[in-house]
Amino acid sequence: MESYSREFKIQKNDIGNAGTVASLTKRELKKRGLTRDFVKTVTIGIYEAEINVVIHSYGGNCVVKIDDDIVDVVFQDIGPGIECIDSALTPGFSTASHYAIENGFGAGMGLPNIQSVSDEMKLTSSKEGTRLHMKFNIDGDCYES
Amino acid sequence: MELKAVLELINAKQFNQECPRCVREINYAFVCDLMSDALMLLKKMPSHIGAHGALVTGLVTNQALRTAEILDLETIIFVRGKTPSQSVIELADEIGITLIGTALTMYRTSGLLFMNNVKSYESVLEEN
Repeated sequence: MESYSREFKIQKNDIGNAGTVASLTKRELKKRGLTRDFVKTVTIGIYEAEINVVIHSYGGNCVVKIDDDIVDVVFQDIGPGIECIDSALTPGFSTASHYAIENGFGAGMGLPNIQSVSDEMKLTSSKEGTRLHMKFNIDGDCYES
Repeated sequence: MELKAVLELINAKQFNQECPRCVREINYAFVCDLMSDALMLLKKMPSHIGAHGALVTGLVTNQALRTAEILDLETIIFVRGKTPSQSVIELADEIGITLIGTALTMYRTSGLLFMNNVKSYESVLEEN
């Protein structure tokens, strides 16, 4: 199938629209004949990352690319960065605000969850911003028979 | 369990009765207010055995809907008398999620559902 590439802008604290990237990507993956379980795996990773940009950053963007054999997703925000990546990857560790928790997030499970659903995850961060790169491999079993 | 029976059991109302794509059956339920908990645990539920799931929550925002959408949960049961806004109801119609609400607490709602054979996440996995 034709390659898919789409960029999304994500605004700080825009919790009402958080999940839009995951939802639109879900539609595209379903259209391409991928299984519900594969689609769920990818969209969980995207949704958690999207929420992180909304509740922790000053805003950012996301680029989703889909080819026959891979889903490649990059989230880039403009700060303030993650102080300690090792802590952020520890299940239950959270620096989330009351605002995030009131909206159902901030349990400290976001990054561990992303790590567990993706085939490859690279996370780099400084005060200028955080970059999260996720890859999901697509093999024959990922397509509906 | 038929949705009609669930509505009677927990004295609930359906907020989007006209939703044409909405499912009218609940087989299992998962309870949480923190959405990452649902995302973390329910990712292990294979779609072929996890049909007709419901999310029981006190979170009446778009995020409960997005979580249900991603996890292929077809119904959301709002507890403690929480009422969703019109924009939340419209989003539910758009993505085909049934929204119902009860004044009962989360504990009592879950207990009644469990006593009436609405399965837990664990029992669905164990049975399969």
